Amino acid sequence: MKAKGKLWLIFGPVIIAAGSLILLFSLPLGWGHFSDRTERQAAVSLSPKVFRGRKIKQQALENNYVPFFGSSELSRLDAFHPAVLAAKYQRSYRPFLLGAAGSQSLTHYFIMQNLGSQLRGKKVVFIISPQWFTKQGQRPDAFGFYYSPLQTTDWIIHAKNNTADRYAAKRLLQMPSGRASQTTAAALENIANGQPISKFQTTVLRAKETMLLNEDALFSHFQANKNLARVEKSEKVLPAHYSAPQLNQLAAEVGRRETSNNQLDIKNSFYKSRLSGHRMKVLQNSQTSFDYRQSPEYSDFQLLLTQFSKWHVNVQFIIPPVNDRWANYTGLSMPMIRQTDQKIKYQLQQQGFTHVLDLTNDGNEKYFMEDTIHLGWRGWLKADQTIDPFLTKQQPAPSYKIQNKFFAKKWQTSTHIE
Amino acid sequence: MINLQPYSNPMYFVWLAVALLPLMIGLYFGKRLVVYQTIISGIFLLLIFGGPKWQQGLALIGYIIFQLLVVGGYAAYKKHANQTWAFVSAVLLSIVPLVIVKVVPAIEVGRQSWLGFLGISYLTFKSVQMIMETRDGTIKEFSPVMFVRFLLFFPTVSSGPIDRYRRFQQDYLQVPTREHYLQMIEKAVHYLFLGFLYKFILGYLFGTVMLPRLAHIAIMQRAAFFHSGISLALVGYMYTYSMYLFFDFAGYSLFAVAASYLMGIETPMNFNQPFKAHNIKDFWNRWHMTLSFWFRDFIFMRLTFFIMKHHLIKKRTRIPQAAYLINFLIMGFWHGVTWYYIVYGLFHAGAIIINDYWLAYKKKNPQLPHNRWTEGLAIFITFNVVCFSFLIFSGFLNTLWFQAH
Repeated sequence: MKAKGKLWLIFGPVIIAAGSLILLFSLPLGWGHFSDRTERQAAVSLSPKVFRGRKIKQQALENNYVPFFGSSELSRLDAFHPAVLAAKYQRSYRPFLLGAAGSQSLTHYFIMQNLGSQLRGKKVVFIISPQWFTKQGQRPDAFGFYYSPLQTTDWIIHAKNNTADRYAAKRLLQMPSGRASQTTAAALENIANGQPISKFQTTVLRAKETMLLNEDALFSHFQANKNLARVEKSEKVLPAHYSAPQLNQLAAEVGRRETSNNQLDIKNSFYKSRLSGHRMKVLQNSQTSFDYRQSPEYSDFQLLLTQFSKWHVNVQFIIPPVNDRWANYTGLSMPMIRQTDQKIKYQLQQQGFTHVLDLTNDGNEKYFMEDTIHLGWRGWLKADQTIDPFLTKQQPAPSYKIQNKFFAKKWQTSTHIE
Repeated sequence: MINLQPYSNPMYFVWLAVALLPLMIGLYFGKRLVVYQTIISGIFLLLIFGGPKWQQGLALIGYIIFQLLVVGGYAAYKKHANQTWAFVSAVLLSIVPLVIVKVVPAIEVGRQSWLGFLGISYLTFKSVQMIMETRDGTIKEFSPVMFVRFLLFFPTVSSGPIDRYRRFQQDYLQVPTREHYLQMIEKAVHYLFLGFLYKFILGYLFGTVMLPRLAHIAIMQRAAFFHSGISLALVGYMYTYSMYLFFDFAGYSLFAVAASYLMGIETPMNFNQPFKAHNIKDFWNRWHMTLSFWFRDFIFMRLTFFIMKHHLIKKRTRIPQAAYLINFLIMGFWHGVTWYYIVYGLFHAGAIIINDYWLAYKKKNPQLPHNRWTEGLAIFITFNVVCFSFLIFSGFLNTLWFQAH
């Protein structure tokens, strides 16, 4: 009897702790509404936690937020960044920034998986970088950094037996993160092979989904990030009333001031921390063999197009240029860049994606790029000339014609467009 | 095939609890379920060394057979003869696999020997210990089955703590009384939760949240202070890394001890509040204790006796100094054949020698003050010396000075 009492004393607290933890995460608790400020913070946080989550994105997109998909250029939060312009001039939309260094098509495909009901029939902005289209395509470590078990679980539960979903499952299985969990990997194998997932798998995945959702809802309340402060500070730099010529002049001024320590029109801080000294010498002619024309990324990108088409999302694509001086210095081939651009545009236009802002030829514009390959000051303003009307004016409904040939190896490796 | 790294994620603990429950019920009723324990040990080893790590699994099997031959062979030999050459050869043979595993990456950067597997150094400590105690005559009977159980005791197989054969054997054969076993379970639960706090909260905070940021800032400032890279961020890195190292490793060790206790084996503790140490010697009695005691018993003491017996060093005070140097140099090499591990070893040897001088000086001058302020100062100095040694140990200086660009 005494020993039994002792056992209770030892294990009682453990059982209570484990029980409350299970309850905390397995009950559909919801965890309430996010405040305005939390929303604003999350929208510019560029944090993997936000990309991986669900609830705060859903809430924001149900208000007036519009997803801006992209990669490292989104973090160039100068005064002319879309997030600053929209806030300063009280536009009817606010950008919700989705993407950071290393996020490419495959990451974005999964990021938007659980936004179906928020995106259907809506508009989004998508900045697509030629630099994603490397021979290897999505780097597994970068994919792992943004990988979300929650989105993957959602995706698996709703996956169908079609070309796109089989392709996505195969791609995911090529990433270590896709194989990290046994249940997930097994279900993905089924989808990749065109077989339905079992009842048992569905049950396990649903339970997992509930847990992950609770975790997401709970922890999304804690947004600690300096970006919102940066945006608010940048707003103060801008004139009170919107005037395109005045802004353009200001952007050139700021650009001149901030690119004074080098000949390449690269922002001082970037140059100083990343390029100065002996590093420059190594970089000379270091990119002569870069080639973006053949890449698995083209099919990963096709996944996104298929998804947009399925949800009738109206997409404004933006193709940013490369800083001309930088390209000259590193020996990056401009004909190759133009061919890459053509190939991306072909893939878009063939399938009815007509809103494409191609900035490829603006790489020699002064203060257009903040550094090597990232839009800045005047570049953001030029993009704004397209983004603003696209988002604030009525647009005709798109009509897409998805072609599965873009999932084929043949398209990934083809260097000429028929 | 599933692969589970020991104590690395919540699922491991769930599997562990499920697997150990029948064993625990058995022990509670005074019986060790030997067959069951063997089976679950096999399953856990398969989970650790199977799946994508199957090559490690094969290396482990080969290693065990090799050590059975070496240790078993020496034990058989020792029954009718006791030549020093045989003993030395047995020890050397037994460390050959470890030496190869440590030297291969140093010769060809990035290459790993196919002889290697997770935990090889800890298994080698156990084997060498067997040979030495057989030589001493403290281990009289060699039981191959018990030896394999001892080597492959799965809670400690990957990173210790390093147990002693005779202690282990006794615990294995003698089931604890119910009262004692309940005390062990109580401690185990406490250690397990303390381990969660250490490894998954504090270790995560220091190692995953803070450390990469400090590393980034420190590398950005590597031109600071006359290109030495000495910056506030580097100092921050030093303390943060030290905290990470302690909480991660102490957390892991607590898990290993807790799992052992649940299985009725009192694996010794590895840490005893090391940052409260008053001097370096005290520190090594509190930090990675099973390793430092192993080095003390099987290297330092034996070296000292050897030097004294053969009158290799005339001056008495020089003897421990030489022994410390060799002892810590070996420990440095054991961590890995890189300059920073070796410097780390020499640094600790130097610190302990200086500490000896100080203790001798203090003994001669009893008028020196001794109060809680001087004790506080001693703890402060020891802590900082130790943290600096961990900065060397971290290899970050190597990255900062020779690799980052």
